[in-house]
Amino acid sequence: MKKLFILFTLVLLTLGTLTACSSDEPEVVEEEKGYEIGLVTDIGTIDDKSFNQGAWEGVVAYAEANGLTYQYYQPAAASTADYIEAITLAIEGGAKVVVTPGFMFAGAIYEAQTMYPEVNFILLDADPHTDDYSAFKIESNVYSIYYAEEQSGFLAGYAAVKDGMTNLGFMGGMAVPAVVRFGHGFVQGAELAAVELDVDVTIKYEYLNDFAPNDNHKVKALGWYSEGVEAIFVAAGGAGLSVMAAAEEADKKVIGVDVDQSNLSETVITSAMKGLTSSVELALTDLYAGNFKGGVIDTLDVTVGGVGLPADFSRFTTFTQADYDAIFAKLVSGEVVVVKDAASVNDLAVTKTTVTLIGAE
Amino acid sequence: MDTLLFLLKNMFPYMIPLTVVALGGMFSERSGIVNIALEGIMVFGASIGIFFMYFFPDLLPPQMMLIAALIVALISGAIFSLLHAYASVNLKANQVISGTALNLFATSFHVFVARIVTPNGVEGVKFNNVYRIPTVPFFSDIPILGPILFTNTYITTFIGFGILFISSYVLFKTRFGLRLRACGEHPQAADSVGINVNRMRYIGVLISGALAGMGGLILIVPSTVEYTGVVSGYGFLALAVLIFGQWRPSKIILAAAFFGLMQTISNSSGLNFFMSLGIPKYFYQIVPYVATLIVLTFTSKKSAAPKAAGEPYDPGKR
Repeated sequence: MKKLFILFTLVLLTLGTLTACSSDEPEVVEEEKGYEIGLVTDIGTIDDKSFNQGAWEGVVAYAEANGLTYQYYQPAAASTADYIEAITLAIEGGAKVVVTPGFMFAGAIYEAQTMYPEVNFILLDADPHTDDYSAFKIESNVYSIYYAEEQSGFLAGYAAVKDGMTNLGFMGGMAVPAVVRFGHGFVQGAELAAVELDVDVTIKYEYLNDFAPNDNHKVKALGWYSEGVEAIFVAAGGAGLSVMAAAEEADKKVIGVDVDQSNLSETVITSAMKGLTSSVELALTDLYAGNFKGGVIDTLDVTVGGVGLPADFSRFTTFTQADYDAIFAKLVSGEVVVVKDAASVNDLAVTKTTVTLIGAE
Repeated sequence: MDTLLFLLKNMFPYMIPLTVVALGGMFSERSGIVNIALEGIMVFGASIGIFFMYFFPDLLPPQMMLIAALIVALISGAIFSLLHAYASVNLKANQVISGTALNLFATSFHVFVARIVTPNGVEGVKFNNVYRIPTVPFFSDIPILGPILFTNTYITTFIGFGILFISSYVLFKTRFGLRLRACGEHPQAADSVGINVNRMRYIGVLISGALAGMGGLILIVPSTVEYTGVVSGYGFLALAVLIFGQWRPSKIILAAAFFGLMQTISNSSGLNFFMSLGIPKYFYQIVPYVATLIVLTFTSKKSAAPKAAGEPYDPGKR
């Protein structure tokens, strides 16, 4: 009897906390006037130094310049239902436009675009479709932005090998399309530079299945560095912080992702950027000027400055601005084409580069 | 050889916090109180320690700062564990429930406070990790031991070993240790010779809280630059270490080393040696769990748990 009572109490306690959690988050400071521009974060936090933060800075920049109110909302969990709940909360909080950074939002926006036809959505890295990919539909209140991550990764890989490195690593957060494109581009960039310099390049290639910093990633990176890897391109949000910690310990290099991450650690030689901040700001400007690109799916690539490396090349030893401009121009003119739809990294046609895929893609 | 050195070296960031927290659990259980709140106390201690670093980043030189933060975590862990002691000793409450309550409280507390104090209102609290010691003069040059223990190390590694020796001495060589153990084995007998059982149990829980609080910070500092109120189940793992270690310091360190090594192997699938074996990385990822099951199978028969652990003290019972 006593044991039963204990069990019952435990169950009650657990239930209590579970419901408490779900009603606490997504949390937002209540205010009368509401917030006109809302942003719902993907996996990770608003200050992830990477994806969410890049998009958020675009929102902040536009709103501050134009005296608009803005707020972000963190979903309780990474599921379509929780995303929709957070979007609903943003709209109830007064949002007229909702920015959703991330591939995972495709299903949520697919639902939300018809639920809230009077609200505009800016969807990054995805276009609206059902979670099982059975139906694709984009309404006139949604603007989808893709980035040519493969070109950005390509430039990073090219620069690293041109700078004299031949032993590289790639750590992706998860094998989601944007991260896969970064990785595939990185391999192709390294390959082109290897062919030009006639050297052999090896690349360790792995997905961490995580976007958060922790000790396991640090140990993994330390292991790679200890066996000769000179630089790791880490496209994994906050997990990059652990890789940078390892690089500092091992005195090796890191290539950052999404935004210019050079201020996070001296070890970051360059970053494969995508123009999150500028594209969000531009989309908001268009919207408020009455030119919202509703129903449009855009891919921002080198031709519009949507992707690239930061302008500071001082942490490279031999690779210069001029080298960068030359290869960048070749991408713009189409002389060099980066494959973005390979089924696996092993399907890329490479001759001078050996890719060791650890785990599966 | 290099692979082995690497594994041994990177075992320490897992092993030291596990040892310290398991030793904490040992003091509590030896006094007769089961403390499953270790996880929560770790979260709480690390939280207060990190807030201390966050608010006073330049108060002291780095190593002194780390020691100061460890002391803050130690004190806050001890204070937090008083809740468990009061419920278990004075109220004679079920110790599992009381511990669970602490576990549930700690993470929420961190998230709540962090969202108030951080500028963006997020749960991740940043700190400057300036505590790494790249090399120690002379000691770093010792073959094998130098690279493992004295290169890219943290002062916490040595504090952990210090706590191990002190714990072992206190438990087996002092009057206090004998009395503490008596309270965990047969509190009525201890009471009959004039030992204040409740007082001993309070002290046992306080020590466990202090060590767990400090262990939380020891776990967090080397691995990241931001704390989100999560210690990834290390408190529960420390309980497992305590059981493998048969409630004895000398075996606890071995158990912690074993867990640490398994955890390191699971993250080392990218090393040339392991890749040359041609085994998929998922095999390495399950290594810690399979190893735990196997060891548990062999050790569970001769469990040496304190006899009275988990039972509220009832002077009338014989």
